[in-house]
Amino acid sequence: MAGLLLSPTEKVFILHGVQDDYRSDGRSNIDYRPMELETDVVSHASGSARLRLANTDILVGVKTEIDVPKPDKPDCGKLEFFVDCSANATPEFEGRGGEQLANSISNMMQKAYHSSQAFNLKQLCIFEGKQCWKLYIDILILECGGNLCDAVSLAVKAALFNTRIPFVKAALMDGGNIDLQLSDDPYDSKLLDVGSAPLLVTLCKIGDKCVVDPSAEEENCSVISLIVGLTGDRKYYYPKDADKQQSVESKCTTIGMNGPGSVAPKTLKDAINQGIVAAKSLDEALGQALLKERQQNIGIKKHSYGFLK
Amino acid sequence: MPGPDLLSSQGLRLDGRRPNELRRIRCKLGVFTQPDGSAYLEQGNTKVLAAVYGPHQASKSKSTTEGVVVNCQYSMATFSTGERKNRPRGDRKSQEMSLHLRQALTAAIKTELYPRSQIDIYVEVLQADGGAYCAGVNAASLALIDAGIPLRAYACACSASMAWRNGEPEPLLDVGHVEEAAGGVVLTVASLPNTGSIALLEMSHRLHMDYFKVVLSRAMQGCRDIEIILDKAVRDHLAEGWTKQDVVTI
Amino acid sequence: MPLDYRRFNGPDDSVSYKRFTDNYLKSYDELYEELIDKNSRRKDGRKLDEARSMCMFFARTDLISQAKGSAYIELKKTKVVCSVFDPREIPHQNEFSQLGQLYCEVKFAPFSCVRQRRPHAPDAEERALSVALRQALEPAVCRHLFPNYQVDVFVYILEHDGACLAAAINAAGLALANASVPMYDIITACSLAIIGEKVFVDPTEAEEHLAIMSPDTEGTNHGIITMSMMSELKQVSDFMQIGSMDVQCVTKVMEILEKECETIVPNIQKVLVLNVVQCFNQRKQLEAEAKEREAALNAKMEEWKKILNAG
Repeated sequence: MAGLLLSPTEKVFILHGVQDDYRSDGRSNIDYRPMELETDVVSHASGSARLRLANTDILVGVKTEIDVPKPDKPDCGKLEFFVDCSANATPEFEGRGGEQLANSISNMMQKAYHSSQAFNLKQLCIFEGKQCWKLYIDILILECGGNLCDAVSLAVKAALFNTRIPFVKAALMDGGNIDLQLSDDPYDSKLLDVGSAPLLVTLCKIGDKCVVDPSAEEENCSVISLIVGLTGDRKYYYPKDADKQQSVESKCTTIGMNGPGSVAPKTLKDAINQGIVAAKSLDEALGQALLKERQQNIGIKKHSYGFLK
Repeated sequence: MPGPDLLSSQGLRLDGRRPNELRRIRCKLGVFTQPDGSAYLEQGNTKVLAAVYGPHQASKSKSTTEGVVVNCQYSMATFSTGERKNRPRGDRKSQEMSLHLRQALTAAIKTELYPRSQIDIYVEVLQADGGAYCAGVNAASLALIDAGIPLRAYACACSASMAWRNGEPEPLLDVGHVEEAAGGVVLTVASLPNTGSIALLEMSHRLHMDYFKVVLSRAMQGCRDIEIILDKAVRDHLAEGWTKQDVVTI
Repeated sequence: MPLDYRRFNGPDDSVSYKRFTDNYLKSYDELYEELIDKNSRRKDGRKLDEARSMCMFFARTDLISQAKGSAYIELKKTKVVCSVFDPREIPHQNEFSQLGQLYCEVKFAPFSCVRQRRPHAPDAEERALSVALRQALEPAVCRHLFPNYQVDVFVYILEHDGACLAAAINAAGLALANASVPMYDIITACSLAIIGEKVFVDPTEAEEHLAIMSPDTEGTNHGIITMSMMSELKQVSDFMQIGSMDVQCVTKVMEILEKECETIVPNIQKVLVLNVVQCFNQRKQLEAEAKEREAALNAKMEEWKKILNAG
């Protein structure tokens, strides 16, 4: 990342650490760094989440708008991802400096959420062919400490889990135009089904081995990283109706490569398999954390920490 | 003149504050590790992050021998306002705010200490509920202190508006979004309360000359109040920092 | 988005008339039925696992005289032009970069797509393709040989009938070789579409369109994979997947892709070898011509000398 200078010896040190499955911060190759997650941090948004993964800080806000569905998909809503790299993260992002990185992340997210098996757009339909919800998912990157993709996908899933969409109270038909009346009560709203929303896992190839959750220093040592998007499992998010559904195998919704290097086909296969294991444990942990937070919010008014912790 | 409805018959404002009352200010220094200095500040429902990088070598085109170049960027998150913003920065309002920030902060920084250098100050508004610029200046001031950059005095900003109560003029301190939208006059002052000087003064709408002084003095009073709050936050932060460090070394 | 003001765009809420044609209103299943006939042949007569690289592949170089190297590739209806320009200093750069850079740009011709007209301004898809192209080419080029310089690669898609990224990578690889940019290996790419159990190698636009659409039944695999390879080194330089499929499917399909990438290599090699042969022939011919001219000149000189001496 920006402004980070590593000497060859430091790189060798990191490389040897990865070789011995004992990284410079004491993790093994399949460990994630500690994460902090809080939802509902921005009151102007329908849903929001802030995720801090060691040094990486992501804030996601979801805003809803009413839109007209695409003519070829009359019963589907719309999703739009927008990534903003704040100059707070590094002076290089000042002005339009962060645009390239922002584009590549939003592209990756758009691709990962493309399939209906990852996120069902039909739940955003209001009136087939006429009106639908459009979700603007705005991602703000406040600090970069490596592994942006994973952190972004986790924060987005948490924010979508937290998103409330108001119920439609009445619809007036007026010569082909529809006039909607929405419920004013913020609690009179529905939640989205995001159990299967995908998580991205970055596998960074250092030496011969792949590591998950690379820090900024480790990213600097590697020439190629593989990003795998895998769908989540509903049972972690909606445990009540878990017995009704059979356990689904997680599916790849997107795979991409990043960096100037290349890999052998066998490494690619191994990395994908390694990614599945990581995604599964991430998904489970995220589900638990989100359910726990939701549990705490019932009854007593939640104490919001925000950035003050 | 709009304004009578900004105060209730009991003399309370729309959000229940008294006319001379600030919104609750909560702040924290050193929220991030990568910038040289950073701060987070909440003023009511307005939430602002500020980060400071530098002083470092100035880029060739900007470099001057007289003093440090203060480079500011003000941007608002797309989800910060009630209606979604399309662009976080680069629009006319953000550019104007960047200039104003620079004006206020250049006055506070001892610029002559760092010739041929540059200080970058980035302010990110996470949630805007009126007075985002004021919160931005206050947060940037804290971030500068966190970065250890020598200042002449705290740069504090506060806004004030004007209302009527029983036919008497009653200035309102620290204007919220609802009061801003109601269309009254908004006077924004950025000042160095310690030295009593004003760094930036901006006013929207019109105000009779007779009342200008009252509103200005109310805004200046607000700046002085904010200075006390910021000063306490800095002292607390440092005290906490020292104890933590002591524990680690022992 | 900036509009093209010279063109009459119609009212904002207008829709294409195609929206009301029979073709458009077909359901997912009908479209799926259409792709394969009873003899399990595709619309253009290919088998499922048959790529266009074998019989419908056409490639040549030196199409654009201004460029240092250029290539044209045709996979039946997918037509792609690529031009590569001389290395030049990286513009607006303060720091010295140890490795040379590749600048890639993919552009669709306004008339290239069946479904919509392409705008002049680069849209999100074009930008994504440009990034993918650079990702695919970077590992193949010896970038350390031109530090602080950049090589520009421009791809223009004349007609899009599926697998346009694969075609773009193939064309760019060929053009780079033609421009004599040093490379580690020939780079080739192939793509395939997956719908349920069926795997369409080297898909057409209709097949791609259906593969991206989400089927109604839960849990069916669908999607597109594009892979680019350096076959001699056995290295994957880019791997792009979109859609939703289980992991066994991805790994299984990878072998097909690998094989397919290898089959394209001889095609490219043939073009390049032909190029060299042609070049030699041309040079021989030029040399012969030069010799002839010299002989004629000498003869003339002799003649003049004689005249001079005589005078």
